[in-house]
Amino acid sequence: MRVADSSASQSAGGVHWARLLRVCAIIVVCLVVFFPVYWMLLSSIQPTQYSLSFPPPLYPKGLNLAAYAQLFREKPIGHWLAVSTFVAAITVIATLIFVIPAAYALSGLHWHGRSAFGLLLLFTQIMPAAIVVAPVLALYRSFGWTNNLTALAVLHTAFVVPLCAWVLKSAFDAVPKEVVEAALIDGCNRLSVLPRVYLPLAKPGLVAVSVIAFFASWNEFLFASTLIIDSDLYTASLGIATLMTQLDTPLFQLMAAGVVFSVLPVLFYMAIQRHVLRGLTAGSVKG
Amino acid sequence: MVVEAALTSAAIAHDAPARPLRRGLIDGAALPYLLILPALLLECVFVLYPILRGSLVSLENFDGSLGLDNYRFMWSDPDFWRMLGHTLIYTLTVDVLVLVVALAVALLMNWSFPGRGVVRSILTVPWAIPDVPVAIAFVFMLDPSFGVFNRLVRLLPFVDQNQNWLLDPTLAMAAVIIVTVWKGFPFYSLVLLAALQNVPDELYDAARVDGAGPIGQFLHVTIPGIRDTIALLAVLAFIFATQQFTLIWLITGGGPVDATTTLAPAIYMQAFRFYNFGYAGAIAVVGFFISALATIAFIFIQRRLARET
Repeated sequence: MRVADSSASQSAGGVHWARLLRVCAIIVVCLVVFFPVYWMLLSSIQPTQYSLSFPPPLYPKGLNLAAYAQLFREKPIGHWLAVSTFVAAITVIATLIFVIPAAYALSGLHWHGRSAFGLLLLFTQIMPAAIVVAPVLALYRSFGWTNNLTALAVLHTAFVVPLCAWVLKSAFDAVPKEVVEAALIDGCNRLSVLPRVYLPLAKPGLVAVSVIAFFASWNEFLFASTLIIDSDLYTASLGIATLMTQLDTPLFQLMAAGVVFSVLPVLFYMAIQRHVLRGLTAGSVKG
Repeated sequence: MVVEAALTSAAIAHDAPARPLRRGLIDGAALPYLLILPALLLECVFVLYPILRGSLVSLENFDGSLGLDNYRFMWSDPDFWRMLGHTLIYTLTVDVLVLVVALAVALLMNWSFPGRGVVRSILTVPWAIPDVPVAIAFVFMLDPSFGVFNRLVRLLPFVDQNQNWLLDPTLAMAAVIIVTVWKGFPFYSLVLLAALQNVPDELYDAARVDGAGPIGQFLHVTIPGIRDTIALLAVLAFIFATQQFTLIWLITGGGPVDATTTLAPAIYMQAFRFYNFGYAGAIAVVGFFISALATIAFIFIQRRLARET
């Protein structure tokens, strides 16, 4: 069951087979996980008539590398991606601005109402988000904020701040108390230990929070679809979802759009996943 | 998304007291309140106020007076009970499957082998792909006439024709569950893997000395070592599943008829298709209580386990 490296006492042959089985099982898991992605890639680069035959071929029967060029030429996908990047960037920056002081207050300071504030943040997460769509729409109409990308980013921020506050709080909790005490003795005050001690030591937490905010905004569909009506302001998730419902979109284009939309977050995430996992598990996993 | 940190911290919210110092405004008692003020205002205006407004309309009777008409109607509405049943089937199945698969994969990966980093990267892919492309890929893969799912399913001995996945109530539910689990389990796996690696090796050695085989070690060392994490992920998966909107909406639209209409799509439909804002609010309030109960149960169980050990 447990790690192979500590099972030296078992017979060498048995270990060998167990290892081989394990490797096979891991390969199967990877195939299952990767298959839909592979399928999306495959369907975007092979001519549609192959994708639309049954049984569908499991490897490309032909190549249509023009799919992507055609997609960018015929659909405003570049524009949608730019809009999504803009909204996500504002969301990340705004989230950091709101969440750093709040997480510090939750972690490093002692005050009345701290648990209440924590529970309030939790409350926002367990109420079904679908219920706020209509009231938010009414609110945004009264502000004249529909069709406004910055206002959409503010909303994304508001919905991701509670989670980020908790994640960053755990990261701050992991900062050794002795270091903080030493800094306080050395002349830092309760406010200046935040930039001088907490932020440098909680970098994985900051990375994790930025990634969560970026993904939440990049992924978000429900609010975007109700607040953004002007098609010039569509985010990528909204634009691609409309491609999906338009019956005249060629299949390979739809798949190519899906691939293009996924590439950025996947690469982004792979590049920094180690930090993210460290940041996310700092508080939840003991040790 | 990932509230595990949140929930753990909620369960142990009273730790880490900081010594209060009294030196001016930035060091004084006002500091924490000044620090949370921006976030508090943001949450009040954009989240809490809409939540309250959306829930309070549920107390508006059909004639505009105050009362429980919406809830009375809900009680006698067979569609509501069907929706609740679908929600429970979807949520609980996703919850159990996601954890079982995630744990199995985490155990598989809990040893040092060449290419571990690559496998880890592959496992993060579904989590990083946005919902909309996931829905696009799966709708195509589930297509009755040329979808690859049918090619795979036809390999089974008792299936001799293409299944119409999204038009059959049971298969449609199975399909949205499969997609949710596919997208969800890798992340839980990685969190569980991190937890597994924190179980001290000495415990395994001690168990081996005591004569525990692999299964005994698993039951008496591994499971107790990671049960906090498992409990936490179970609640998270539960809350996320009750909240799931985009995947279900784009893959089945809640159909066929209402077979995959769970809580979030039901609220959305009541509000934006039938304009029953009061009724939508009533359903959301019920959803809130279901998730709140799950969370309270989690905190309760975790505190009890913490006291035992």
